[in-house]
Amino acid sequence: MRTLLARSAVLAATAAVLAGCGLGGGGTSGGEVKATGEVKGEVSLQTWALKPKFTDYVQGVIDAFQQKYPGTTVKWLDQPGDGYADKVLSQAASGELPDVVNLPPDMALPLAKQQMLLDIAANDDKLRTDYVKGGVSAYEFAGRPGAYAYPWYLNTDVNYWNADLLTQHGLDPKKLPTSVDDLIAQARVMKERSGGQMYLMSRKPELGDLANAGVKLLSDDGKKFTFNTPEAAAVLDKYRAAFAEGLMPRDVLTDKYLGNSELFKKQQVAWTTGGGNTINSIKVDNPTLATKIVPSAAFGTPPLYVQGLSVSQKSKNLPTALALARFVTSPENQAAFAKLVPGIFPSTTASASDPAFSQSDGTNAGDAKVLAFQALAKAELLQPPVVSEAMGDYIKQQISLAINGEISSKEALDRAVAKCDELLKS
Amino acid sequence: MRAHRWFTPWLLVLPALVWLAVFNLWPSLNTVVLSFTNAKPLGGGTFVGTANFERLLTDDQLADALLNSIVYMLVCLPLLTVVPLLLAVLVEKRLPGITFFRTSFYSPVIASAVVVALIWNWLLEDRGAVNGLAQQLGLVSGPVPFLTDRWLLIFSAIGLTVWKGLGYYMVIYLSALGNVSRELHEAAAVDGAGPVRRFLSVTVPGVRNTMLLVSVLITVSALRVFSELYVLTNGTGGPGGRDMSVVMLIQMYSRGFTGHLGYASALSILLFVVTLGPMLLLLRLNRKGADA
Amino acid sequence: MSRGFNAISRREKVLRYALLVFVLLITVGPFLWQLSTSLKGPGEDIYTATPRFLPEQPTLGNYAEVARAIPVWDYIGNSLVVAFLTITGNAIGATLAGFALARLRFRGGKLVLGLILGTLVLPGEVTIVSQYVTVRELGLADTLVGVALPGAIGMLNILLMRAAFQAIPRELDEAAYIDGANAWQRFLHIGLPSVRGMLSVVVIFAFIGAWDDFLWPLIVLTDPENYTLTVGLQYLNSSFTSNPRVVAAGTMIAFIPIVVVFATLQRFFFRGVEEGAIKG
Repeated sequence: MRTLLARSAVLAATAAVLAGCGLGGGGTSGGEVKATGEVKGEVSLQTWALKPKFTDYVQGVIDAFQQKYPGTTVKWLDQPGDGYADKVLSQAASGELPDVVNLPPDMALPLAKQQMLLDIAANDDKLRTDYVKGGVSAYEFAGRPGAYAYPWYLNTDVNYWNADLLTQHGLDPKKLPTSVDDLIAQARVMKERSGGQMYLMSRKPELGDLANAGVKLLSDDGKKFTFNTPEAAAVLDKYRAAFAEGLMPRDVLTDKYLGNSELFKKQQVAWTTGGGNTINSIKVDNPTLATKIVPSAAFGTPPLYVQGLSVSQKSKNLPTALALARFVTSPENQAAFAKLVPGIFPSTTASASDPAFSQSDGTNAGDAKVLAFQALAKAELLQPPVVSEAMGDYIKQQISLAINGEISSKEALDRAVAKCDELLKS
Repeated sequence: MRAHRWFTPWLLVLPALVWLAVFNLWPSLNTVVLSFTNAKPLGGGTFVGTANFERLLTDDQLADALLNSIVYMLVCLPLLTVVPLLLAVLVEKRLPGITFFRTSFYSPVIASAVVVALIWNWLLEDRGAVNGLAQQLGLVSGPVPFLTDRWLLIFSAIGLTVWKGLGYYMVIYLSALGNVSRELHEAAAVDGAGPVRRFLSVTVPGVRNTMLLVSVLITVSALRVFSELYVLTNGTGGPGGRDMSVVMLIQMYSRGFTGHLGYASALSILLFVVTLGPMLLLLRLNRKGADA
Repeated sequence: MSRGFNAISRREKVLRYALLVFVLLITVGPFLWQLSTSLKGPGEDIYTATPRFLPEQPTLGNYAEVARAIPVWDYIGNSLVVAFLTITGNAIGATLAGFALARLRFRGGKLVLGLILGTLVLPGEVTIVSQYVTVRELGLADTLVGVALPGAIGMLNILLMRAAFQAIPRELDEAAYIDGANAWQRFLHIGLPSVRGMLSVVVIFAFIGAWDDFLWPLIVLTDPENYTLTVGLQYLNSSFTSNPRVVAAGTMIAFIPIVVVFATLQRFFFRGVEEGAIKG
């Protein structure tokens, strides 16, 4: 018991250092780290929720790597889907980040700022030529030179419509809305024809919708938010008027990102947005609904969703880690993965001309895949990774106040910008 | 009465004290330290004096959050102190099949949050079961916005809390009922006391200590409500975020890689101070009751 | 115990069952939904405007799928180890402390009690990372002991045990004291037998706490071989597609041990003062 107490006294000191004083300086240059040397020895690879469905695929890639570089061993850790951010956070805070780790841009940003991730651009000249621009730039952060991951797979949003509900309520699935104004007009028809029982629209606008309307969200130096413009207020006003008219269910006020897909699955609304593989996953949840879905291209600039593989700067085996990250994201390996999961796409330039992605098999799921693939060419990262969870929540809450008509759209945006600026500084 | 050596009690509480210090007091101390910094989960924390506490004063969402938490406590406290006790009395008697009933009543305690959210949404949403029934019966003309109105949402969440708490506190009361003297019950019955009188004059005094403990637990957990409001609002905190509790606010600031731990810690300390008040009041009331 | 008091009239019986069934209807919804989802066939819709509780194409295939997709027995084994450690820690630590705080007067006792009550109120929202650092420094990262450790003596359980010990009539204690029993003997022969009811409650709470916890074991454990059941079941929520029927089957599998433990232990709830001390 005494040793336990003594140890906890030591602990007290270390944890205070950790919690109170931080792990290191933020943001400033720490000298470029070069990953040179022989590719051999053991490295760890952490993926996110790929077991057990893709065990064979990942294991195959690992085996191929070990074969290509004799003397290497890869320890594969796959983390469950829930709680991934907390897991990576505790790994990072205690200096146990795996050598190669799957990170979306918003998780990579704070790690890169703490100099925990290897600058890939400084170590691989071909990064910017072999991978698509949008994928690489998702891992370039304002105020910090370099790029901090190999882009892995990409996704974007497509519009999905319930054709049955459209025809039942006087709309034509062949003349789907192609803009927000169109959407509102058709929503009005649906409301009138159904006597207010059925809705077409089911989501409130978010930052992405503002970016889509040409609003600049963040200043170039990344230090100030700029989305409280009249154009942005006009976007909110459109939705606000539609809500007041009863074109959306009241639930939109409390919906999070997945809210409208939930209502769509229950067939309580006729429209949702989702990734290129949405129909395939609805097929599992609600098989009778899947056949009724018609996809169409997203309105305006589609959002880009990126997953990447980063290398821990503290890795004891940088050359091998770098080689592994590069290998897993190679055109061949990515293409094989994307064929296993129709609806996600490789981030390598070599795959852009692969006919497998641009040809539909004639099913609605195949059409959605092609639409998503075409959208990727102009897709952009709409929400800057610097938006923290607290900022995101506050923005959504203010938008919901505006939609509900409690405060003006301009006021909501002003409040959101003020709060986000304050949080960004602190 | 003192028939033990001075160190005997300390020996008995020693393991508990170690756990208390290492896993409870120490992390809390850490929170106090953090509240004076601008720490992020990945460091970058420097001393900022009382800036976080000053920010409490200008936080436009804090007043609502405090009000919600207090209303939550005021409604939950009487309901959850009394109803589970009644339920415990109901399942106390050994009837055929009683094990099944007891276990089923406990099942909401262990149901997963996702499924609970699903079921309650089905009940309460605009086109849900409750609204459907009410409209069919002609009680209301339009749907009642249980899940989208600022106050109705709070009361819906309270309903969920009470529903989940029934089985939990029932179990605590059940074990206390074992200590209520049977002779007293029988004597009261012989005196012609009906079930209500016997409940009030025998059962309630018999479980008094447990009732106090239960009411303290309810006070603390009601002021700290999080998951019920979170699931019913899909994490948004209701329209405009006005249905957030203090803990939801804390979570909002502490979550994620760029969590604002300093401010979240200041909020935690505020909640600590707020909780102390009703708790001390409860303990004092109990002492007075015991003297009388 | 007189027979007359225990027997109940027909009317009361009907009333009691009516009430029991009423509460049952209120509480059993989620459990039923879970059960029915886990039995639904692949052709049935899961998310509908109104819930459908009866599977149209019932199948046990989803349960087989859970067993096929993840090493469910290994995970159950790990969870049992954690649950066992947690139960043992609480049964011993909380009982001893509860007895001392309820039945022995000592200088500083009030302070200890105050601190324990205080921890209920203490802020605990932002501490998980510092908790992890503690466990790691003790050399217990990625071990089941590390998972069980922080919850091995729950402050709430101490308070519950204290309340149970307090309920023992003073006279019993005093009689033993006059007979020359020391603190340890009074604990063994009077205290323990009288608190079996609350002890079983504490065991249930400790078991469920250990069995259901997700975030903490996820953070402590790294090697998937060490995963507990709640963490391991998350693999059923794999990226891109997950089957809600299989997830529900997994949840049901996690449910069963809790039901078994509860149903077994609930019989002991009433083992209070009278059946304990006076008889024994």
